Amino acid sequence: MSLTGQRATLMPELDSDTGTVAVLAVLAGDEVYGFPLSAVREILVPPPLTEVPRAPQHILGVITVRGQIITVIDLPKMLHLEAEQDDPCGRVLLVDNGEELIGVAVDRVIQVHRMEPDQIEYASAMSAELSEYVVGVGRVPSDSSTEAEEMLILIDPVSLLGE
Amino acid sequence: MSDPRDNVQEEFLAEAQELVEALSRDLLLLDEAHHRNERIDPGLINEIFRSVHTLKGIAGMFGYKHVGVVAHTLEDLLDDLRLGRTSVGPQLLDVLFDSVEHFQRLLALDDPQSPEEEARVQAYIAAVRSIGTETAEEEGDPLHKYAIDPAVLSVLTEYEEHRLRACIREGFRLYRLRAVFDLTAIDDSIETLRNVASDDAEIITYLPSMEGGNDDTIEIVVLLASGVPEAQLQAHFEGRYGGIEAIEERTHLPTLPPRLTSIPSTAASMGAQPEEDPSQASLHSVANSVRVDIRKLDHLMNVVGELALVRSAVNRIVDQFKGESTYRQSLMDLDRIGRGFERQLSELRTGILDVRMVPLGQVFNKLARIVRQAAREHDKQVRLVVTGANTEVDKLIVEKLTDPLMHLVRNAIDHGIEPADARTRVAKSAEGTLALNAYHKGSNVVIEVEDDGGGMNAHQLRETAVSLGLLSTDAGHELSRQEMLNLVFLPGLSTRSEVTDLSGRGVGMDVVKTNILRMGGMISIESEQGSGTKITVTLPITLAIIRALIVTIASRTFALPITAVREAIPYIPEEVRTIEGREVITLRGETLPICDLARLFGFRGSSRKKGGFVVVASMGNRELGFVVDGLVGQDDVIIKALGKSLSSVRGFAGATDLGDQKVALVLDAPALFTEHFDGPEALRAAETHP
Repeated sequence: MSLTGQRATLMPELDSDTGTVAVLAVLAGDEVYGFPLSAVREILVPPPLTEVPRAPQHILGVITVRGQIITVIDLPKMLHLEAEQDDPCGRVLLVDNGEELIGVAVDRVIQVHRMEPDQIEYASAMSAELSEYVVGVGRVPSDSSTEAEEMLILIDPVSLLGE
Repeated sequence: MSDPRDNVQEEFLAEAQELVEALSRDLLLLDEAHHRNERIDPGLINEIFRSVHTLKGIAGMFGYKHVGVVAHTLEDLLDDLRLGRTSVGPQLLDVLFDSVEHFQRLLALDDPQSPEEEARVQAYIAAVRSIGTETAEEEGDPLHKYAIDPAVLSVLTEYEEHRLRACIREGFRLYRLRAVFDLTAIDDSIETLRNVASDDAEIITYLPSMEGGNDDTIEIVVLLASGVPEAQLQAHFEGRYGGIEAIEERTHLPTLPPRLTSIPSTAASMGAQPEEDPSQASLHSVANSVRVDIRKLDHLMNVVGELALVRSAVNRIVDQFKGESTYRQSLMDLDRIGRGFERQLSELRTGILDVRMVPLGQVFNKLARIVRQAAREHDKQVRLVVTGANTEVDKLIVEKLTDPLMHLVRNAIDHGIEPADARTRVAKSAEGTLALNAYHKGSNVVIEVEDDGGGMNAHQLRETAVSLGLLSTDAGHELSRQEMLNLVFLPGLSTRSEVTDLSGRGVGMDVVKTNILRMGGMISIESEQGSGTKITVTLPITLAIIRALIVTIASRTFALPITAVREAIPYIPEEVRTIEGREVITLRGETLPICDLARLFGFRGSSRKKGGFVVVASMGNRELGFVVDGLVGQDDVIIKALGKSLSSVRGFAGATDLGDQKVALVLDAPALFTEHFDGPEALRAAETHP
């Protein structure tokens, strides 16, 4: 399957030299998520969060970064994967969704994977609800001894635009 | 994101927009002069010609074919006008005003090359071409009146010759002025001369003379035409240049040849390019200003905000070491330096805010065009009087203000000012007056739209509101006259049942009001039946910084723009009563509805056993008390927009950085009012309006 896929918004960019895509793997709730590294602007120790009354459930609140007001979202809630995060805000990724910067709260940042195209399985097989936000699933060698492979959910940053 | 091509494109659009605005401004002057039967300043026509000419040039470079074609056609027309082959009249003015609309539309289109556009442009060009040229009435060549050397006449350009004839026809006298100029600065000197002369005289041409002057200087002989008495002109040029003398009118005998006898060959080329010099000069004058993307200013403002945070962080460290005698001297120094830094910072902030300021005249010019167009469509006579066009407000406000003001102006002409015959019947002047006044009042800018038309019928408003079910009959009877007038701001109410071209296109006064309130402004209405209506809009000078009351609600910090706040009183739970399911208190004998913000925002465990305040806010003629837990104080805050993901969340105008990386949400008082009084549905309805 070609990396340019069916979605014009597909973010993981194939590095023309190595033929791989750089994906930042993060842990949020029970799942490991992958963000195209090219869309991640910064990883922050979370500044004080201000909650916004009446905001949708998946929005944790707003923070200020160098004078800019940034909305912080809870990824599992947004994907309707109801998992209680123990530490809902270990780190905040500043992700460029093409229009503005969005803060994504994660438990911790794991590592950057350089993935071969054949390690990525595209979203067509997934549920409709998920595929709105998800590009596909990537398989990477696990860092735990019990499993050989680990799955990471590849997020499409453009889907974080919100409504 | 910054594709250089986009930048270039943006530059082009910005420049083209400026040219079109200049064109529009000049056309209004031309229209006014024509309307008053005043002499039309040839300089003005040249100015219009030049705008169109430049527009044609840059449109060609950037591939805006239609803009280029329209400009080219207009150029021909304007050239005829310059040379007196056609004259200013209603048809010509209409065609010229239409050009502004065409240019603006073409510049705004993504695909200005579409076939529909092609058709529109062709139709417009046909309209321009339909304005014929007039053949000048042959009453004998006026030039014969003066003894001007044929050698001089032979080097005049067609335009100069036309102006010379036109001036003589107008009864102007001809004069000769000698001036010695430094060769290196000749362009500037001539421009200066042009400015000096412009009040009293028109420069027809200038030619170098062979006399006077040396290697570094040159003597110029200037041919002037003037309608002011010779003595006055003499006085005007007294002590400047080499003196002025009248050119003899020819009597029966051919007089001596004038002194402009020897024409060096360079004279022809100098005289042949009269419009080059002024355009160069105007380039000089714009070189002092730069065009800046407003986002760059926003960025600078953010940097200033960051610096303020750095400053407060340094302050905190200084505080930590206070009391330790070892560092006393250094701490005092640091404190002094810190205060100096703060002063400079606030100056920097003021400076940036100042850069964002633009005169309201930009909007007023657009409005003047609307006035002209609307008056013609309705066949009404309207005189526009503008005061305070130099009043400056934030660029963002100016942009957001255009639509609401346009609506008010259209309303005034459509519903307010009566047709000429109706006016004369009630002993008013046939011509109605529409006044646009702007002035500063404290940290606000006030804009008034006032007409001397028929005024509003308050009782009719009330009846319409009742018949539309917006108001119960009983409630209607209790309204004061002012309250009846305010009904016009209700969604779904229009004073006239029929829909007209101008207003009543579904965008009502309610939307105008919502837009004004959203900017932190206020709108009020005064109207006397028979004598006119005045709408007053009050706005903060800048959107970026507002004075706010900082409050706490369930241990969270919020900012409430001070413009809405009347007073704050202690909250006493025992005094709260419930009327029709709504909580109210009594304030000085009046019933005041209250809104518990902790409850509205769903903060659980807001334990307000005692303490707490009611912040009394007013919007228009409504008052509402916001119940909060604590008052922190007043502060100047910079409002920043919330991100897109939060755009559907109602009740907040934005957020502000309180320092220490703390963010406070800024309450959107108008939205909270609408929500409280009209329900959340009304708020959403107002939102979805175009």
